[in-house]
Amino acid sequence: MSEPRVHGIVLCGVGGQGVLSLAQIVLEALRRSGLFTLQSEIHGMSQRGGSVHAQVCYADVPLSSPIIDEGSAELLIALEPLEALRYVAMLRMNGHLVVAEEPQRDMDGYPPLADVYAALKAVRGAHLVDTEDLARRLHHRQAGGMVLLGLASTFLPVPNSTWREVIAQRFAPKGSLVTKRNLEAFDAGRGLATAPTGA
Amino acid sequence: MMDGTLALGAEAVGCAAFDAGIKGAFGYPGTPSTEGFEFVEAMIKAEPEGRVAQWAANEKVAYDLALGVSYAGHRTLVTMKHVGLNVALDAYANSALTGVRGGLVLLVADDPGMHSSQNEQDSRRLAEFAWLPCLEPSTVQECYDFTLRAFDLSENMGVPVMVRLVTRLAHCRAALTRQPTLAPTGLGVVPRESVQDWVLIPSNARHRYVELLAKQPRLLQELAVLNTLTAGTSRRGVVVAGMGRAYFQQLTLEHPALAALPRLEIAAYPVDPALEAAFLAQVDEVYVFEEDYPVLEARLGLRESCPVHGRLDGSIPRTGELTPRQLKDALALEVEAGKAPSSLDLPIRAPRLCDGCGHLDAFDALQEALRALGRSDARVFGDIGCYTLAAQEPMSALHAVVEMGASISMAVGAALAGQTPAVAVIGDSTFGHSGLPALLTAVDSGANVTLLILDNRVVGMTGQQPSQALDRVERLVLGMGIPAAQVRVLAPLPRQLAVNVQAVQDALQHPGPSVLVFRRECIQSLRRGVLKDHDRNEEARLEQASCSPESQP
Repeated sequence: MSEPRVHGIVLCGVGGQGVLSLAQIVLEALRRSGLFTLQSEIHGMSQRGGSVHAQVCYADVPLSSPIIDEGSAELLIALEPLEALRYVAMLRMNGHLVVAEEPQRDMDGYPPLADVYAALKAVRGAHLVDTEDLARRLHHRQAGGMVLLGLASTFLPVPNSTWREVIAQRFAPKGSLVTKRNLEAFDAGRGLATAPTGA
Repeated sequence: MMDGTLALGAEAVGCAAFDAGIKGAFGYPGTPSTEGFEFVEAMIKAEPEGRVAQWAANEKVAYDLALGVSYAGHRTLVTMKHVGLNVALDAYANSALTGVRGGLVLLVADDPGMHSSQNEQDSRRLAEFAWLPCLEPSTVQECYDFTLRAFDLSENMGVPVMVRLVTRLAHCRAALTRQPTLAPTGLGVVPRESVQDWVLIPSNARHRYVELLAKQPRLLQELAVLNTLTAGTSRRGVVVAGMGRAYFQQLTLEHPALAALPRLEIAAYPVDPALEAAFLAQVDEVYVFEEDYPVLEARLGLRESCPVHGRLDGSIPRTGELTPRQLKDALALEVEAGKAPSSLDLPIRAPRLCDGCGHLDAFDALQEALRALGRSDARVFGDIGCYTLAAQEPMSALHAVVEMGASISMAVGAALAGQTPAVAVIGDSTFGHSGLPALLTAVDSGANVTLLILDNRVVGMTGQQPSQALDRVERLVLGMGIPAAQVRVLAPLPRQLAVNVQAVQDALQHPGPSVLVFRRECIQSLRRGVLKDHDRNEEARLEQASCSPESQP
């Protein structure tokens, strides 16, 4: 017999990068796709430039646990490369990692960037994204999160139209230009979907 | 209706309180409870109709405000974090004796794992201590449903009802199904013939305590529907509560064989001893999965009827947050291996004060002044807020942080014991919360203390809520009796460093209590424009006052 599978997504980054609002977009998109969803997040002190992470769970049956175990996430979306390494062990064997290359180095003892990239590339299923370069090309300084979401969206059972609808609604209060630029960033990320850059 | 709207667990409690017809909501900010008040506050602002939402100076004040609303015959919600209930404990414990008129529900959010707290105390113990009922939801929908039920229970039993959340549930986001909103209708003020119930002089209190104890059997009956025993074919059984209940429920989806385990599900306290006995009669071995202290586990263990596994016997780690993985390990379920953790050494990314934060400039001035006086060995007593982060390396600027308001009294105590210079550092909101009585004693004692009030005009760490002492900290200090010559208001800015260092030195050299108010708005609230309307109104008011004829010389 096959038991219902619970799917888990981990999102991580640094306080102020927008991890929680990205998680809410993912949650809403999955929910609108007819799935049962739960999200767990930690607030408070972490707002102050510390490590931040959120988890989104989904299944086709009602869920009650908002958190997943180590080794069971199918997707890790990381807005910062060093933060990604903290949560690699959350991924299942065949899980995917979508990670921004751009580091946030305002902390003590940040390891050499080359070592961080090497460690990330050693992860099977890793997709390193040069968010800085894409943001420049899109003329949108804060495009990083949406670019990552675009690529990550290709691993999730949500139609493109639903993603676009949720993103558009999310940014609507900030005006049509902001909405348009975030959709562009999302599309650019979706366009990156190719083979993993990792091992 | 906003059926299907996404809400956090804490928000679901606030939403249910609104729908239950509350007249007033009160609280003091504290992670992870803050969103409960903020959600209902937003609902009340959108549809006031006589309802009020008011942050209070501290949790005890918040609780007493709620008790006053209840006395007036209306439903009311009060919110706080677990350590906040310590502050409100006098009010909470004694409200068990007065009882309630309008339904009173207390949202308290515990923080096992101490994500944002100084301890991981379990509020269920305080409910038991006060002989009051506690409902413990395990899902966001239950947060809503149990809160509605709590209001009915409160009025039916005539007692306050605690709804206890933990961080994982308070900050779990899920879709919510609401009930129709009830209008905030009242039962009328406590009638004349019942007034003595609310006057807790010993002769009345003795009588009320007997009545409170007499309510307990009926309370067990009322709560029985929330605690359920499910029979199973195994002789191994599980007791689950709160997040333990949520995690176990989900485990049974993945491992249907777990359905064979007799299961005692607890969602309301006190628990009927007869139910525990009925469960124990079905099993030879018990696993207890509850969040935080081993409350149920200790009760079952006392019966000595069979081995009980949980935090006390080490089946679950004694401290920290409960996790689904701990349930799997305790039950010896197979765990699929995932990716290997990174072999790279990962330094901690600690939270820190924001770039450009005024607290940094205040600490610079303090440390430089102490250096200039050759007293870098001085002990600085800190308090609870963003500035607590200054206790970390490399600043190491605070040498004790205990609980809200402790900085001032500890510095006074140390100074009275001869430990000088004694310095206290406290934020404006924490000063309003419990620094005021401490300052009164500081003045009375005449102790040689230097007090730095870091006034960023908001409750910074919990999300820039309004500070009750907004723009009148120095007036409060003067009113407490600190001489005007020993009160300075300073601007914590890099270009003011020399002035500030001199002011701190002067204060340190003064042989009695002196107060330095470092005032600069939190850069987060400034960016969000939190005080923009307030400042504009204040400016207009001052302008008008200076133009009115009475104010002309």
